[in-house]
Amino acid sequence: MVRAALATKRRMGRGPLPFAAFAPMMSVIVASLLAALPVVTTSGWFPDFGFLVLISWRLLRSDPWPAWWAAPMGLVNDLFTGLPIGFSVALWSATMLALDLVDRRTMWRDYWIEWVLAAVLLTIDEWLQWRIAAISGARVPFLAVVPPLVISIFVFPLSAWLVSRLDRWRLGR
Amino acid sequence: MATARPGWSRRAQYGLFFSFLALIAGILIGLILLAISTLAPARFATIRGAALDITGPVASAFHEVTATVEGVFTGAGDYWDAAGQNGKLKRERDEMRREIIEARAVLQENRQLKAVLQLREHEVKTVAVGRLVGSSLGSTRRFAILSTGANDGVRIGMPVRSPDGLVGRVIDTGAFASRVLLASDRANIIPARLLRGGIPVISQGRGDGTIDVRPLEVGRNPFKRGDIIITSGTGGLYPPLIPIARVIRLDDDGAVALPLADPSNISFAVVEPPYEPAAQAETP
Repeated sequence: MVRAALATKRRMGRGPLPFAAFAPMMSVIVASLLAALPVVTTSGWFPDFGFLVLISWRLLRSDPWPAWWAAPMGLVNDLFTGLPIGFSVALWSATMLALDLVDRRTMWRDYWIEWVLAAVLLTIDEWLQWRIAAISGARVPFLAVVPPLVISIFVFPLSAWLVSRLDRWRLGR
Repeated sequence: MATARPGWSRRAQYGLFFSFLALIAGILIGLILLAISTLAPARFATIRGAALDITGPVASAFHEVTATVEGVFTGAGDYWDAAGQNGKLKRERDEMRREIIEARAVLQENRQLKAVLQLREHEVKTVAVGRLVGSSLGSTRRFAILSTGANDGVRIGMPVRSPDGLVGRVIDTGAFASRVLLASDRANIIPARLLRGGIPVISQGRGDGTIDVRPLEVGRNPFKRGDIIITSGTGGLYPPLIPIARVIRLDDDGAVALPLADPSNISFAVVEPPYEPAAQAETP
């Protein structure tokens, strides 16, 4: 990614932060922990924060963490958000794999393609959550998950911007 | 595919290959865990409880802050229209006084009738009292986090209520926090009846904060707007006579109701033992 090249101010003597290699992973875990916010919602229209930050990082750069970290991060997300254990483990690993394959195929990338990719991934995430809920006895009409899906698709640019700022901060750029 | 090769370095090529293997292993492990947790949810009860003990206290601490801030704002709002509010409250008070007198008479009559029938009162025992400090933010399931756990005697399957009505039942317990399946979750099916007339109905959440109510017997739609739904005590899990919801809209063979205990707005929730203890063992 060449976004960093657009940066103008470069100060001398600033390098990556000591924990730069762990910053992406920690930001994903913090996003999963947003489930501990004292918000009691009855409609459930909040996006899946952990997944949103995960794909923001992965779409920004191909090496935010070693690929296999996706599985333990998914486990943390499952534990904190109350999803069935194993859901995010499988989905997040599959997402990393899918984006590795996408990286091989795409000739060029821009913001629109990233947004479309994110929209596709978020749709898959919501659809699978809906399927799993149906299997475990909570079958709701699919229309009920459309509003949160639309919201999370529109929140993605914000999350991508935050992640790109965080990336520049951790690398000391 | 030649472009995907990370150069001629054997080490880099192996690294890429092993990361693919690790991802596939991650997917497989995830699918196995998912299969276990959907087919046998009790298997992971301990680890889920431990995670709750981390989230619960964090949410409780944040809750104090937001409750204070909200309190300041609503407090300021109350001063705004004090005179109008005063008049309204007086009218409501007079109306309530009349109703209270009526209720007292009914209560007395009820006591006499019970004495005649020699019915034993079902005493309400409280296991623990907590606050709802958080909830599932995601789309399809409706859980809430309650700030009391197994240390206070909360067990999986116990019903949870608030002064306004039924909240749901406990599905996960940690030492200091527990997770409650709200009445508005799709998987929460509650045997209930209409307060007016006592017609048996089934209450099932819709996943969006409202509740579906359907009569047990197919036929004429018995609901009217404003009807109150209460628990019937059938099945032995939920005690009878707890208000659940108020009907807001009719549809073709049932109605949509709004829970009386609004989870986002109740201060305290009470955990009670199951109405008939045998029922606790049956709930997953």
